[in-house]
Amino acid sequence: MGLQRVEASARTLGNGLNWAVERVIAVLMLALVLDVWLGVVDRYLVHWQLNWPEELARYLMIWAALLAVSAGIARREHIGIGLFVLNLPTVLQRTVLFAVDIIALAAFIYLAVYGFDFAVGGMKRHAMIFGMTLALPYAAVPVSALLAAIQLLLVALRDQGRYIPVDLTEGAE
Amino acid sequence: MIIAIIFVVLMVLGMPIGFALGVAGVAGLYDMGGGMFLVQGPSKVFNGLNVFPFLAMPFFILAGEIMNHIGITSRLVKFAQSLVGHFRGGLAHTNMLASVFFAGLTGAATADAAAFGKTLVPAMVERGYRRDYACAVTAAGSIIGPTIPPSGLMVVYGSLMGVSIGGLFAAGILPGLMICLICMTVIAVTARRKNLPKEERRASLLEIWKIFKSSISALIMPLIILGGILGGIVTPTEAASVAVAYALFIGVFVYRALTVNDFIKMLIRTARVTGVIFIIIAFASILGWWLSFNRIPQEVAAAVLGISSNPYMVILMIVGLLMAIGMVMDINAILIILAPVLVPLTVQIGMDPIHAGIIFVLALNISLMTPPVGACLFVLASVTGEKLEKIAAQLWPFLIAEIGVLMLFAFWSDLALLVPRLLGFR
Repeated sequence: MGLQRVEASARTLGNGLNWAVERVIAVLMLALVLDVWLGVVDRYLVHWQLNWPEELARYLMIWAALLAVSAGIARREHIGIGLFVLNLPTVLQRTVLFAVDIIALAAFIYLAVYGFDFAVGGMKRHAMIFGMTLALPYAAVPVSALLAAIQLLLVALRDQGRYIPVDLTEGAE
Repeated sequence: MIIAIIFVVLMVLGMPIGFALGVAGVAGLYDMGGGMFLVQGPSKVFNGLNVFPFLAMPFFILAGEIMNHIGITSRLVKFAQSLVGHFRGGLAHTNMLASVFFAGLTGAATADAAAFGKTLVPAMVERGYRRDYACAVTAAGSIIGPTIPPSGLMVVYGSLMGVSIGGLFAAGILPGLMICLICMTVIAVTARRKNLPKEERRASLLEIWKIFKSSISALIMPLIILGGILGGIVTPTEAASVAVAYALFIGVFVYRALTVNDFIKMLIRTARVTGVIFIIIAFASILGWWLSFNRIPQEVAAAVLGISSNPYMVILMIVGLLMAIGMVMDINAILIILAPVLVPLTVQIGMDPIHAGIIFVLALNISLMTPPVGACLFVLASVTGEKLEKIAAQLWPFLIAEIGVLMLFAFWSDLALLVPRLLGFR
């Protein structure tokens, strides 16, 4: 009973968090598309010789793609090799898969913690654009890692070692 | 050694490959000397991704998403079927040819395998093909997409190794077409023995023309992308962004099959697909640093050259190594970790960088469909419900044929560089 309540709460929290993160990703991606188009229009048609679309595009891409790592975790889209684990007896399989989730947490917690100092260090360095410091682009690393860590913990509690196959055909006809 | 063991054990236990690279990478940083190296990790992650040509990846993915959503996929399949469907084994031939038409819209083999596994495999089974055979044909064809440009793997290789992405794209055309041709030959040769179904009638020229007209908007897209890049007019990223604009235009104005809501969903899905690749690239960058810190590239190079310095032997060893590791590991991660190790070897034996690049891409792509754990096989098995072993048993004639193509291009540099030279990249 207790485990089921944990599962339900983790599911609700994880879905809510992911809903918000995916909205942010959509905005970033839209900005990215428009920014790169602007760069193309500038270079080939109007020749304003803007110097910022290229750099901005890189930062938007990094923010969007790294934030999307947590969205991929929520949907279990990061694939591994299930061959060996799936042939284990159920109890052992669930223990291993749960443990694997928890171990992977370590990598993201590391990135969140050390990434924070990295982002703060970015305040001393300046981007080529808008006179801004590199703290904002650099912050993509710790913020996404933190979100990924939270989401990973939530899906670990949600799935509790159950194997969730990926729907790779989503969007395919 | 301990780092390699950590990585392999985690992967075998089912941890996603990107995350296993991450844990191994952090262990590697700790191994290098603790605190002062751990601090460097986040900047390796950021700089590993802060690469302008990488932008081409999400844009190619997005263009493919849009084209797929508005029903281009089925039109391309119909067009392929109108051309080759009347032969014995028509749908198997269609599968191969459609992979070529698809190639300009997509750059990832597993995505092709998933899409065809869901559409063409059931259609083939309904027409009387064995399911394991249908899956094997799909797996064999799925590597045509990322061989013919655009190809995400070529973008990664070109960006990392400082090789012209346009040149790599040019070099991919011929092997991609040749894989299609040789696999169709395999199908034709074995069609009678396998008693593959045959369509009763052949499409008339008028019918072919009609289907061609209805799919022309999709067939134009690769021309926009390739024409722009190979003509040296635009960068791959710019070409990819134009492809997105084009796909949106025909989705909204020609087919009227695209809503704002659809587009938002595609943007998010594109980011997620990119995120899966990027986290692998990010963590592989850390592990790559650990490798070079420990001078492992130099040791591997010395070991390989110690066995033989004959260029052909070296190429053979590189291809063998890539294919062996490609069976169990993500191919982007292999590029980031192994390209800095192996590419210097190709330089030492005097190999052209584009030639070396195309060998890398071909070998890694083929490894995606190599049993026991090629990613495409895995995807197909999960999408169709067919047993992996049964697909693998039907696959070997195609596999041998494709390895033959790989060897041809590996050892015949003039052939490998024919198209890049024609287009002025060499």
